[in-house]
Amino acid sequence: MADKRKSLIKIKPKRYKDGEIVKVSFMVMHPMATGMTKDKKTKKIIPAKYINSVKFIYNGKEITNMTVWESLSVNPVFTTYMKINGKGKLTVKYTDNTGESHEKTKKIKPRG
Amino acid sequence: MQRRDFFKKLGTAAAITAVIPAMSFAGDAKPKGPNAMDFDTAVKTITGGKTPKSSKKVKLKVPEIAENGAVVPVTVTVDSPMTASNYVKAIHILDGKNSNARCIDVFLTPANGKAMFSTRIKLGGTQNVTALVELSNGEFLMASQSVKVTIGGCG
Repeated sequence: MADKRKSLIKIKPKRYKDGEIVKVSFMVMHPMATGMTKDKKTKKIIPAKYINSVKFIYNGKEITNMTVWESLSVNPVFTTYMKINGKGKLTVKYTDNTGESHEKTKKIKPRG
Repeated sequence: MQRRDFFKKLGTAAAITAVIPAMSFAGDAKPKGPNAMDFDTAVKTITGGKTPKSSKKVKLKVPEIAENGAVVPVTVTVDSPMTASNYVKAIHILDGKNSNARCIDVFLTPANGKAMFSTRIKLGGTQNVTALVELSNGEFLMASQSVKVTIGGCG
């Protein structure tokens, strides 16, 4: 399935210096179906579809690696801290239990 | 003797009635998810047999009363210098009663700078939320708090 899901990488604060520790959050629009709920109209069980793993990669180096299970809420948010270490790219990759994968990148530009 | 017989029968009847509801409960238990796992077995598989210590270094921020069990914000902060020799290796968020006790396993590195993770989880009812933290020296720390879920009005 090549449907594009909306995702977003947020960095707080917006203006940061080199060497600063910033808050990074990643949000995805994802159903996170557990495979245990029923559709109210059709009375059929909704098949499981949840995010398996999320990876935060900064300049080719893996910073944070997560194993995710189905009990995360719909449209999940993942927030951690990260140390800014020069210009570069922050890439967030995630994979699904159905094999769907997605990538989002954001440029890192420290100022001052 | 009659009295004794009566008590014998009463005892067996009580035993049967005690067994039947347990069996029927086992019969139509909740549907199990794809990765159903108990809380105790989840802790065992993560720690590998070690017993985690409850510590004040781990701060778990969860609402005491959650109005909606579908979205419960959880924040875990660990007091750690996050240097190459002493850092937080992993943060695991567990719940008590969901079909799968594991919510998320986060593996951190010293490049994170601060040991903090926050997300939103689903809770199927009133239960405990536990944060299990693995340090780089192999120690396990934990913190837990009960969350009251009040869906459908007066809890």
